[in-house]
Amino acid sequence: MCEDHPGPGGQESAAPEFSALLEDSAEDLYEHAPCGYLSTLLDGTIAKINTTLLGWLGYEREDVVGRRRFAELLTVGGRIYHETHFAPLLRMQGELGGVAFELKAADGSRLPVLVTSTVKTGTDGQAQLIRTTIFDARDRRAYEQELLRAREEAERERDRVQRLARTLQQTLLPPALAEVPGVQVAAYYHPASADEVGGDFYDLFPLTGDTWGFFLGDVSGKGAAAAVVTSLARYTLRAAAVHDPDPATVLDRLNTVLHHEYRGSDPRYCTVVQGHLRPGGDGAAVTLATGGHPPALLIRADGTSAFVPVPGGQLVGALPRARFATADVLLHPGDTLLLYTDGLTEARTQGRDRYSEEQLQEYLADLAPTTAPAVITAVTGLLAGFGDGVEDDTALLALGIPLPGGDRP
Amino acid sequence: MTGTPFSVTTRTTEAGAVVTVEGELDVATAPRLRAGIDTLVLRSGQRLVVDLAGVTFCDSSGISTLIAARNVAEAAGAGIALAAVPGRLRRTFGLIGLADFFPTYPSAEDAFGD
Repeated sequence: MCEDHPGPGGQESAAPEFSALLEDSAEDLYEHAPCGYLSTLLDGTIAKINTTLLGWLGYEREDVVGRRRFAELLTVGGRIYHETHFAPLLRMQGELGGVAFELKAADGSRLPVLVTSTVKTGTDGQAQLIRTTIFDARDRRAYEQELLRAREEAERERDRVQRLARTLQQTLLPPALAEVPGVQVAAYYHPASADEVGGDFYDLFPLTGDTWGFFLGDVSGKGAAAAVVTSLARYTLRAAAVHDPDPATVLDRLNTVLHHEYRGSDPRYCTVVQGHLRPGGDGAAVTLATGGHPPALLIRADGTSAFVPVPGGQLVGALPRARFATADVLLHPGDTLLLYTDGLTEARTQGRDRYSEEQLQEYLADLAPTTAPAVITAVTGLLAGFGDGVEDDTALLALGIPLPGGDRP
Repeated sequence: MTGTPFSVTTRTTEAGAVVTVEGELDVATAPRLRAGIDTLVLRSGQRLVVDLAGVTFCDSSGISTLIAARNVAEAAGAGIALAAVPGRLRRTFGLIGLADFFPTYPSAEDAFGD
């Protein structure tokens, strides 16, 4: 070949050496090619096989030629696949390429291979024999297994991240809410993402003999950085409430702590409803202060409802000298007060429209007279209906005074 | 509600800079406003005006970015103002008490007027 097509210019003088490197024998190329060659009769009986393939299989030529069919060199599963799919397709198409099989060697070991076959026809168009090329696919199999291992590793890693996020989230929420005599309490946390810790938080805890403190809030941002702020906000609120239960004073403390901690170009702040609750008579007195948070919704036993207006109430931690004020609410039997974060009122409903506070009010007012658990159940159902539309975490905390004589009227 | 694609454009004047935001300012888009503000060079005594006329929605990430902008302006000795805050946003900003910290004007021109 080289003689017929000499290489470009300067290589001609090297032609004799060059040609020595080339195949001088088609027979040698057939026998020692870097792939297996196999010719079979139409019934699969092996007629010719090269040395490379015999070497892979560990057979002598006389073990196989005229004695075995190609399918007998395959594993049981491979044999079935060969008989039911490979051979019929080959007969139909005349050629078939790149099919993965496993060869069974004389010593019982298995060798993954890729098989390509063509049917050789005579001048009369009649099929005469089948030529098969077999490529060693061990490297490819190893590569595939490597890919599979990497994928499993990635999946394990994702599970680990989600477990971590879940655990961290749980540490930011109270394991159980304190029991308040004469008051029904219910809460719910809806995480928007399994991978990231959200920044919503709530708690209800005893202060003095007849007073309970509670809060619900939302830290800006998500993930570990937000979780640090959430944790700081939570224990600052609890500690401050013990020191002085006035909700406006508690928020003032938190504002000072957060603003001191996070200034500059990466401000961290939260919105909070802070309150205390004093059961008395047949109901309870609630005092609320809000810091930049959507107003609490009060659903009265008689079916009227209102957002509790709290004057002032700036974002907590964002700005110096924020102002907070308080509002008082008296809860009577059948009344329920719902605190929520904006994951709910900013959720996208069916299309792309955002759910609004007014829609929430309308939806819940119909439940009256209701109970804290019933309100939480209703809102949980609402969130489930939004599906992916809930882009942010949502925390809910409901306080209600049961009607005498049962949970539900 | 989501008709306007999000965009941030900035222009500088003698008196400071105007950043015009359009579309939904949320967790996905806030970094672009942030990047726009970071390109500005503010001098002492100037004013950074954020024009919100075309903003259809603003979530906590958007508010964070506005607060960050205020901090950036303050660090440079400049002031900050909001212009043309749409009604929907004005309610949110009122709720969180932002108005006390961001002088607000009907338009960017008005913001440079005094």
